[in-house]
Amino acid sequence: MVLLRLAWGGVWRRPLQSLFFIVGVSIGVAMIIAIDLANSSANRAFTLSTDAVVGKATHQIVGGPSGVEEGVYLRIRRELGYRNSAPIIEGYVKVKSLDGQPMRLLGVESFAERPFREELGTAKMTGLNQTSFSAFMAEPNTALIGANVSDEYRLAIGESLEIQVGSYHHKLRIVDVIASEDRRIRRSLKDLLVTDIATAQEVFDRIGKLERIDLILPDDPSNTVALKRIESVLPPGARIESSDARRGAVIEMTKAFRLNLTALSLLALVVGMFLIYNTVSFSVIQRRAVIGRLRAIGMTRREVFAMILAEAAVLGVAGALLGVGLGIVLSRGAIGMVTTSINDLFFVSNVSEIDITSLTLLKGVLLGIVAAAIGALIPAYEATRVSPVSTLQRSAIESRTRRSLRWISIGGVAALSLGASMLLPEWHLGLTFLGVLAVLVGVALLTPAFMRGCAALAGTRWLRRRLPILGNMAIRDIDRALSRTSTAVAALMIAVSVIVGVSVMIGSFRMTVERWLTDLLGADIFISPPAIANSQMGSRLDPDALKLFETFPGIAQVATARSVEVDADGMGRITLSAITRDIAGEKRHYKSAVGNHAETWNAFQAGGLIVNEPLATRYQRSIGDTIILLTDKGENPFEIVGVAYDYDVRPGVMMSDAVYRSYWDDPHLSSAALFVKLGVDVDEKIVELKSVLAGKLDLIIRSNRALRANALGVFDRTFSIFVALQMLSAVVAFIGVLSALMSLQLERTREIGALRSIGITRGQLAKLTLLETGLMGAIAGVIAMPTGLVLATILIYIINLRSFGWTLQMQLQPSQFSLAFVVALISALLASIYPAWRMGQMQPAEALRTE
Amino acid sequence: MRSSDAVHKPLIRISGLRKIYWEGDQNHTVLDGITEEFYGGEFVCLHGKSGSGKSSLLNLIAGIDAPSDGDILIQTPDDEIALNRLTERERTLFRRDHIGFVFQFFNLIPTLTVVENVSLPLNLMGKRDAHKSAASLLDAVGLGERTNTYPDKLSGGEQQRVAIARALVHNPRFLLADEPTGNLDAETGESVLSLLLRLTRAAGKTLVMATHATEIAERADRVFHIDGGKLNLQKG
Repeated sequence: MVLLRLAWGGVWRRPLQSLFFIVGVSIGVAMIIAIDLANSSANRAFTLSTDAVVGKATHQIVGGPSGVEEGVYLRIRRELGYRNSAPIIEGYVKVKSLDGQPMRLLGVESFAERPFREELGTAKMTGLNQTSFSAFMAEPNTALIGANVSDEYRLAIGESLEIQVGSYHHKLRIVDVIASEDRRIRRSLKDLLVTDIATAQEVFDRIGKLERIDLILPDDPSNTVALKRIESVLPPGARIESSDARRGAVIEMTKAFRLNLTALSLLALVVGMFLIYNTVSFSVIQRRAVIGRLRAIGMTRREVFAMILAEAAVLGVAGALLGVGLGIVLSRGAIGMVTTSINDLFFVSNVSEIDITSLTLLKGVLLGIVAAAIGALIPAYEATRVSPVSTLQRSAIESRTRRSLRWISIGGVAALSLGASMLLPEWHLGLTFLGVLAVLVGVALLTPAFMRGCAALAGTRWLRRRLPILGNMAIRDIDRALSRTSTAVAALMIAVSVIVGVSVMIGSFRMTVERWLTDLLGADIFISPPAIANSQMGSRLDPDALKLFETFPGIAQVATARSVEVDADGMGRITLSAITRDIAGEKRHYKSAVGNHAETWNAFQAGGLIVNEPLATRYQRSIGDTIILLTDKGENPFEIVGVAYDYDVRPGVMMSDAVYRSYWDDPHLSSAALFVKLGVDVDEKIVELKSVLAGKLDLIIRSNRALRANALGVFDRTFSIFVALQMLSAVVAFIGVLSALMSLQLERTREIGALRSIGITRGQLAKLTLLETGLMGAIAGVIAMPTGLVLATILIYIINLRSFGWTLQMQLQPSQFSLAFVVALISALLASIYPAWRMGQMQPAEALRTE
Repeated sequence: MRSSDAVHKPLIRISGLRKIYWEGDQNHTVLDGITEEFYGGEFVCLHGKSGSGKSSLLNLIAGIDAPSDGDILIQTPDDEIALNRLTERERTLFRRDHIGFVFQFFNLIPTLTVVENVSLPLNLMGKRDAHKSAASLLDAVGLGERTNTYPDKLSGGEQQRVAIARALVHNPRFLLADEPTGNLDAETGESVLSLLLRLTRAAGKTLVMATHATEIAERADRVFHIDGGKLNLQKG
């Protein structure tokens, strides 16, 4: 109790320092919580929504891109007598009357539903009033919506919803609303429209087909028998898979993306630990006399240690709790960014709520307290060295720092070596990130030695004589308080090097993608049906539109593509693009191929696959290997004839259109690319096409340039959250420098009083402070440049390759480095404004009275 | 003894000087309407108990603190300056030009060498030959061999000698010393005092010193006892 009171007293005696500590911890915790909440909310929204539509189904029968024949369902139900089966059509639609938001449309057979989605409320359909039930069953284009959607948008029974699927528009009449007492179900109903199976088939243009057939198989040995019986009636293109496996595979897709975000979200706390070290160290120095007295009256070293740690814990808890609140606020922005990226890159997802789970909050709080405790460990140990008879002087700590400089540097080299050894083998991505952390810690530990080296250089008689007195003082002040200044410099250096590293990585990535797109998008005009999100697959291009393009004046050639998801053995769902011609032509760059461009193209047309780099990297496939795809004619092996550079996050393959059509019963197209005749103005042609199609077909018609801009827009959106995270870390580093300066200033109060009494002006004092911080910022900037380069190399050649399987060309721009130097310098200088002002306000007489 | 040329010409005139310290709602008057004059070339001792206001008076005369009330008028070669009416910057520049201050705890700048400490006032003034002047003054105080040493390598007496050199390097008209021997043993204190008197008297400077020590007071031209915020002449 006494220890806590002493700790509490310590906190209150230095309100500003305590505030810095709390802010440092809170930003760190807030970032972790915001990203964790965003990640988990996105996952949970997906899981809830999927759970709602999967219901109690243990297995699903799925087919190829066209789905499963309706007849399969009838055979299972009638011939096998398997009643626990339900046909499903499912897909995303855009609902105009719901602000254009994507909704999951679930087409069900109400009589078969009872065992599956009782909790969804469909069971209540039997309890609906007779009129609405009859309408739902018998009338086409009728739908049920969740009560919460009906309340939010004031939609009454009988009103119509205008929905859009690709180019096509439909109207659905609301015949009833589904309510539930269960919060989870209410949430899942927020993005759900339920229709009869026939309506859904019409909406998605899948007449006679099903998206899947849900099954409930017993969880006992008879399961295997049931599976075998059902499998025996399946056509070659269909297969049974467990519901959990399918759900897990989708979540798994975003794993690397989420892990990258989580790793960056930890950065602020790492930077914050330096700030914590500084604050606690200052607190120990300031109270050295009190600690000496406490030791003299019998306090043990262990108790001193506990007292200092208790103080850090008090502040850590305060910071962590504040961080929880801030994290929840920030998560609202983060979730938007994460959801946009997931929709752009992976799959359509509608995340409307933040799931504040106690686990996330607890994790954030614990990490905050642990970081505070780790940051406080060394100063707490220093405090135990205060002997009852002699007080611990700042100079004693500095002397000790200098003496242990060699060991600190050896530790730095060891951390660097450890980092390198963790980065080189292809271990789990989490360990790779730990390797990056070890590298950063290594450089941070080498920072004091570097600073000493700089000070020694500046301290040479030749240089000393030539530097102005304030310059000399600034250099030596930094060197004198090395334990403190090096910590602030290291924190700033880490934040800035991450800025350099991430900027170089993003810059290189962007330039690589830009070049790739320039080469890839060889056609002049690109046409596709509107999609709910960039990641949405399977949209269909109207066949009439294709006919129009082929005969349109000024169009030389039309290339088409069909983009679908197919099952690949050992890989789950992968993307497949069936193309009539390679629009990139000879500009397509292969990482490896069976021959030159023409030879590869011939092999491709003969049935070979061109796989993208993410697939080749993730599944360790190369040319000559085969991939077994589940076609409508059953499983079929396809040989890989080329590995192409590709910057999609999803593993995918490319196949000749003719080969695709011969294996899959899918007459549809997804997009078209047009080549205009020589001399034809592309923009004018787009205007003509749009005017011809206006009011008839809703299509997105874009020029080569616009499509590239759209792709780069997706790119920039994806990285905006990474940029936001690194900026917040820089804020923590900034506070670190500010805190270090404030504590140094407090320690030097008497010295400042003496300087003022011998005639140093406020302006000269300000100049001295600016010189000190400017030098600290410059040193941080100088170290951050090579460190940032190392980090960029790791991010480009290790992290990105292992996370997403991309080969990026590193592009170094001097501006990225000079900007980092300027950021370090300016943030340090900005941090010095308040301390410089305060120093000027200090009354010399009062300063001289300070003990 | 008071130097004859300075007898009729006060260089420092203080009148109705009050200094009140506030601590929350409580106030504490340390100087209560003091009026006095100090002359060129004289050695004045301020004697009194701890907390009696000796240091406060020195701080006010040096312009490093502002009075609560009253005037401090300083005669410079060009003009008479009302110190209490100067802006903060003007007071700083006044200090830099006219005042030398010696502290009980030396207050040397630990990151600067001995010669850099001494030349600091001149450097701050932008004087070119600062290093040379400092070196010659260090010779005068007997530390010519230690110019490139850092303060923490010097004994207390040596540090105070450096502080005296620093206080005199810019040739101020007034030297203010706050317990300059208070942190030294008797023998070292005596040597430091002798040095201080030698250098100030030789240059005809006014030395105002706050001290507890009666043996120092005995050597002063005038001695004032501060008690209850009042200045009482004890000697002179």
